[in-house]
Amino acid sequence: MALLVSVALFARRAYFLFGLIREGKPAARFDDIAKRLGAEATVVVGQSKLLQRLLPGMMHAAIFWGFLVLFPTIVIAMIGAVDPHATLPWLGAQGWYALLVDLFALLVLEGVATAFVIRKLARPKRFEGSHLGEADLILALIAGIVLTLFTWHASQIALGLNDFPAAWAPISSAIAQVLPRPALPYLERIAVWGHVLIILSFLVYLPYSKHLHILVAAINVFFGRTRARGRLDKIDFERPETEIRFGSARVNDMTWKQMLDTMSCTECGRCQEVCPAWNTGKPLSPKLLIMAERDHLLGRATTPIVPNAVIDDIVWDCVTCGACVRECPVNIEHIDHIIDLRRNLVMVESRFPDEAGTMLRDVDRTSNPWGKPQSDRTQWAEGLGVRVLKPGEMSPEVLFWVGCAPAFDERARKAAVSTAKLMQAAGVDFAILGPREACTGDPARRMGDEYTYQRLAGENVATLNDAGVKKVVTTCPHCFNTLGNEYPDFGGRFEVVHHTEFLAELVREGKLEPAPSERTITYHDSCYLARHNDVRAQPRELVAAVGKPIEMPRNRERTFCCGAGGARMWMEEKRGRPINQERLREAASTGAETLAVACPFCTVMLDDGVRETGAKLQVFDLATLLQEAVERKKRDSPD
Amino acid sequence: MRVAACIKRVPITGGRIVLTEDSRAIDTQHLGFTISPHEECGVEEAVRLIEAYHGDSVVLTLGPPEAVEQLRDAMALGIDRAIHVQTDGQEWDGEATAAALLDAIRADEAANGQFDLIFFGNESADSGGFQVGIRVAYALDRPCVTGLKKVVVEGSSVRCEQEVERGRDVYFVPMPAVLTVKEGLNLPRYPSVPGRMRARTKPVAVLTPQRPAPRLELVSLAVPAGQGRRAESLGAGPSAAPAVVEMLARAGVL
Amino acid sequence: MTVLVLMDGGDASRQTLTLARKFGEPRSLPMSAIEPFAPDALAAMLARAADELSATAVFAAGTDRGNEVMARLAARTGLPLAANCTAAEPGNPVTLTRLRWGGSLLENARLHSPRPLITVAPHTQPADDGPAPAEIPASPPDEHDLAVRVKAHLAPSNGGVSLAAARVIVSGGRGVGSKEGFALIEELAGLLGGAVGCSRAVTSAGWRPHTDQVGQTGTKVAPDVYIACGISGATQHMAGCKGAKRIVAINSDPQAPLMLNADYTVTGDLKEIVPAISAEIRKRR
Repeated sequence: MALLVSVALFARRAYFLFGLIREGKPAARFDDIAKRLGAEATVVVGQSKLLQRLLPGMMHAAIFWGFLVLFPTIVIAMIGAVDPHATLPWLGAQGWYALLVDLFALLVLEGVATAFVIRKLARPKRFEGSHLGEADLILALIAGIVLTLFTWHASQIALGLNDFPAAWAPISSAIAQVLPRPALPYLERIAVWGHVLIILSFLVYLPYSKHLHILVAAINVFFGRTRARGRLDKIDFERPETEIRFGSARVNDMTWKQMLDTMSCTECGRCQEVCPAWNTGKPLSPKLLIMAERDHLLGRATTPIVPNAVIDDIVWDCVTCGACVRECPVNIEHIDHIIDLRRNLVMVESRFPDEAGTMLRDVDRTSNPWGKPQSDRTQWAEGLGVRVLKPGEMSPEVLFWVGCAPAFDERARKAAVSTAKLMQAAGVDFAILGPREACTGDPARRMGDEYTYQRLAGENVATLNDAGVKKVVTTCPHCFNTLGNEYPDFGGRFEVVHHTEFLAELVREGKLEPAPSERTITYHDSCYLARHNDVRAQPRELVAAVGKPIEMPRNRERTFCCGAGGARMWMEEKRGRPINQERLREAASTGAETLAVACPFCTVMLDDGVRETGAKLQVFDLATLLQEAVERKKRDSPD
Repeated sequence: MRVAACIKRVPITGGRIVLTEDSRAIDTQHLGFTISPHEECGVEEAVRLIEAYHGDSVVLTLGPPEAVEQLRDAMALGIDRAIHVQTDGQEWDGEATAAALLDAIRADEAANGQFDLIFFGNESADSGGFQVGIRVAYALDRPCVTGLKKVVVEGSSVRCEQEVERGRDVYFVPMPAVLTVKEGLNLPRYPSVPGRMRARTKPVAVLTPQRPAPRLELVSLAVPAGQGRRAESLGAGPSAAPAVVEMLARAGVL
Repeated sequence: MTVLVLMDGGDASRQTLTLARKFGEPRSLPMSAIEPFAPDALAAMLARAADELSATAVFAAGTDRGNEVMARLAARTGLPLAANCTAAEPGNPVTLTRLRWGGSLLENARLHSPRPLITVAPHTQPADDGPAPAEIPASPPDEHDLAVRVKAHLAPSNGGVSLAAARVIVSGGRGVGSKEGFALIEELAGLLGGAVGCSRAVTSAGWRPHTDQVGQTGTKVAPDVYIACGISGATQHMAGCKGAKRIVAINSDPQAPLMLNADYTVTGDLKEIVPAISAEIRKRR
């Protein structure tokens, strides 16, 4: 009876949730089954993302693995509750299984204890805003399940009702010694029924609470992104107008994967802890964003998400650095949520911070976010003898995609000049597109203006394909990400290499010979390079080739944004503390003389940071450092 | 309410203007184009008025066939329809431009009724003639206020604020009226995608009048000496002061 | 041969006179002939006087008011107008040079007109130092020409010259160091009859009100001269001041972005340089 009621209640809620998800917009997440199964094995079974943080990771893994092992005991207990003398055929009588149950039950108990220590004593800031009471109740239920299991097994042993050999269950046997003899028959009944009832109430409670993640997370991981993390999904503008919902205005505009994301969130706050916006006192927390969307969704609210569930500021604070996505143990893809909210605000409502309008207009009308004429694109290369590819000419071995920042920003320009000189020194056959290179559209796309982005993407893909470009080298990680990961969606057929990869290769091949030095260098990983695209080793090779590396506390895939991503470069930082200064202080704390970067936006943001904080280190692109080292070598060995 | 906004297609130039070989025009091969900035504010103001008072809004331009892009831009912001007085790309002087636009306005008014307000830019970004709006107003015998940074419709008249060196001068004129506006009047909205899609199918009427012989006749263009922004050092420390003051004198601000 | 000149007492009018004398003996109509300002009435007076005196040409300074009145005169009389000229030679046609693109480009043109109407771009001619031309008698305005007339005046919110309209802006950044440090900036701005601006860092620090902020979210300015003192020149700030005709950067860091994007630079401590410039200006007066 209890079983039927709880299963019915569970089914009712599950049906409701499934119904919601079926209303979601489509998302292509049924491809790459092999990769998806792989993710399931490492992220879910292997708990890989949780174990990035050792103590909480071990805690969770203990409970998770414990429950995997204990799962059959639910059936065994149900049988035992009805007939004390019966058990699950075969498994219920296995000694090795009894041993596993004993050990893993203890593991779960330790996990619960650790969880309580973390939550009640350590109290990390990541839990700020989470529903802590719910978690306590769940932990208490888990403890109850395990304790009743031990009591039941122990009383069975004491009464001789055990179907498994008692010697294989040392912990239960030990408990059996201390149980009060006269109460044993009652205790056995109470324990087994208590065990079953707690499990059933757990089953009912789950789908109504944030611990829905126990059921949904594994599914969410399966449907997670299998292609490059930096790639956004494209909108099809050619469908009939009535069909088009640009981004997310209301909850039913979310894709089903986004809905699943909100149901998977267990409010652990790992995303919040690494978020540059939250860490600098801004209202955006990726966790609170997902929670707010979930409450709006499960509450079946029909009002617009912004500003009812999420205020406008939150949508614009995101730098799309991807730290939250990388950190999330259940593969929630926060950036997609932010971008879809932005798409609606920008493309449908035309509502965004005023200053970003200048950038959008400039990108739209002048094909670069600086609003400069395209004819000025070759100014940086004057006197360098760089070949400009004319219409109709075929591309040489390498097409150097300069990017707007190096073409138009005085400070970012140096990296392009250095890269060009290095390629010349190494004898690389390359050319630039000059005035025919348009902005990749990345800032417009990250801002939510998919329409302008697609126009630029189409034009650039046509230019590159027409010139028969095979290999693109670029100094800008944003161009690198867009050209390499996103342009294939628009017919782009070329290999894209970041200049740090390309230059490291030239050094390895001996085509460039830098002179090492004693200069201390700390390298700042660009989010779009190190995190979104896994380029981490080559820049470090270059650092090691020209100086003495010192790592910052937050490095490689766990780097901290400079504050410019997600089109934030063109928005004023009106809330909280400046992100660039936060990062700059971290760099300065290493005591390094030089802060090496590999991104024109990082160059500008961190150089601003140096001026603003008065820090004593200098910001250089790796190409500039390498070029100096190569010239030093030439000077020192004139022959 | 019926509102018209007159605009001009202009290239987006940078620090260094490059001329065509015959020196009669700017080389626009690698330049983007836009609505002249003052006029874009006129378009935005027209859209806001129609949103508030309902009615009909029209955008007009005199320009080459490509200027239809700027008409579509204006319609993407919310203008209902466009009138394109098409040229073959040759320059029309202010007098001829005003006459052609006047004919187009008169024809539209004859068919659809009088415009309560007609917006112009105070001057176009490229030729800077300061006269087209005023000429149209005179021909229509309507009051014209220029250089406006704020426009408020109050009943059947309109309150206009003109920016002057120390503050603002305020005018009140009855409608119908012609207003010439300056950038800063408002912040033109960024066009929504549905707006841009609708603009693709909004009607554009095309007129092709003959270009009269210009009475202000362009002969050639020239780039002034010393252009292109490359910093010139005036020195270091307080001893640079005389050089700075000399430069200020040359700039005529002393 | 008589030419008519609309004059408003400023430097630009005396410069206009220099060019006008090439075309004949100047007679003047003061801008103040109608107070408060009523451009149609001034245009009507010019038209009547030009006919009465058989003026061969009419001139005004290429200021907002000068251009406006002359455009109305052109509309009223059906004559072409050449605005913002930097040079003109009498003849038929008149050959002239005028400014386009706010001065970024020059246009050589021919003006075919029985009575050339010309406005003269400020600061392109030396000021005339001859005797003041005789004023023409003002005629009573027609009621119809007073329909457009200044009815009220609003003082700028900060009491001085508004940022957006100022011809000179002296702007201070973080390098100014403190709220009190802006006294130096104010002094120089006062001497030049300009406005005080600042960077975002300064408003964030509470040294100046937001209304003084130049930048993407502040005011976008287009003065003849923008003097940036101790401003590094973040992208957002550059977006606000790139409309300036000339940018002068004063900064101790020669690599500051604003120093790289300026027309003129002075390297060093603004706390020494700015007072020195103020002193130099006083010395010359």
